[in-house]
Amino acid sequence: MFYTGRDSAQFLAQTEYIDTAIVPLIPVHVTKETMQMGASQADYILSLANALENQFKGRVVAFPSFSYVSGQSKEQLLVDWKSAFAASPFKHILFLTGDSEWNQLDGSIFWTATIPLDSMEPKMRGKILEDQVRQLIPRIAEKWNSPS
Amino acid sequence: MSNNKVTRRQFLSYTLTGVGGFMAAGMLMPMVRFAIDPVLQKKDGGDFVTTDVAVADITEEPTRVDFTFEQVDAWYTSEVTNTAWVYKSGDSIVALSPICKHLGCTVNWAGDAEYPDQFFCPCHEGRYEKNGKNVPGTPPLGPLDVFEVRESADGLLEIGMAVPNNLV
Repeated sequence: MFYTGRDSAQFLAQTEYIDTAIVPLIPVHVTKETMQMGASQADYILSLANALENQFKGRVVAFPSFSYVSGQSKEQLLVDWKSAFAASPFKHILFLTGDSEWNQLDGSIFWTATIPLDSMEPKMRGKILEDQVRQLIPRIAEKWNSPS
Repeated sequence: MSNNKVTRRQFLSYTLTGVGGFMAAGMLMPMVRFAIDPVLQKKDGGDFVTTDVAVADITEEPTRVDFTFEQVDAWYTSEVTNTAWVYKSGDSIVALSPICKHLGCTVNWAGDAEYPDQFFCPCHEGRYEKNGKNVPGTPPLGPLDVFEVRESADGLLEIGMAVPNNLV
């Protein structure tokens, strides 16, 4: 499911099955030196979020990404997001990011190494994303099975 | 010179008729083309999509086959990639849709180590037998859809529309 009007209606009718929120965390880099790397990383994380949504359509809602610039307090952002979701029907939140500064901050952060997809053919892209999703399935299933 | 000399008057009228004829034809041709256009439209071959998998290579083990087709939404055309689980059953080829009948996740063959010969949906642990029949007691309420299949002239697998499961 996506965070759209139509999907939300279905989500609200099925909260016992759809219990996981995916929120991509995207760092925005705008200097001459870092922009290309940052954009490529964002592209990968967003593609991965879409691929995960496709795999787990009936259990997750993929939210619009959260973008931030450097210098914002990640601890505070995390507290804000978590307290917002604490009041929601979601049982699990999964923050998907390639930004290593989030790593180890919290158990709900899903850090993944990013792969530059820019110069790949669409077919290759699909294949890579499919493999990555397959590797993430056990990690996500483990999260679902652990009480939180 | 010969007797049938072309007079200046005749020459001018021939030239004018010729040029006028070309202009009239230039205007009429596109109009005629537009008028009979529906007849000339190319028919799509029954919406079958050719994959890059040879029918001879398909085994009894379900394998993932991706196929891409162009989807037209109003005037926006996009490429859509779909997946099917394809295997051989006796002499016929079966292509199952990977969309779980519960809430639309993607099912995987042998996705659960405890059930190596079933399709498994990781979202809510739904299971399907090899022919797509849903395992009672798991969340899905119906069998997986099947795709229409056929073999192309050069031996490649072609996948068509998804239809309700007729194997169960």
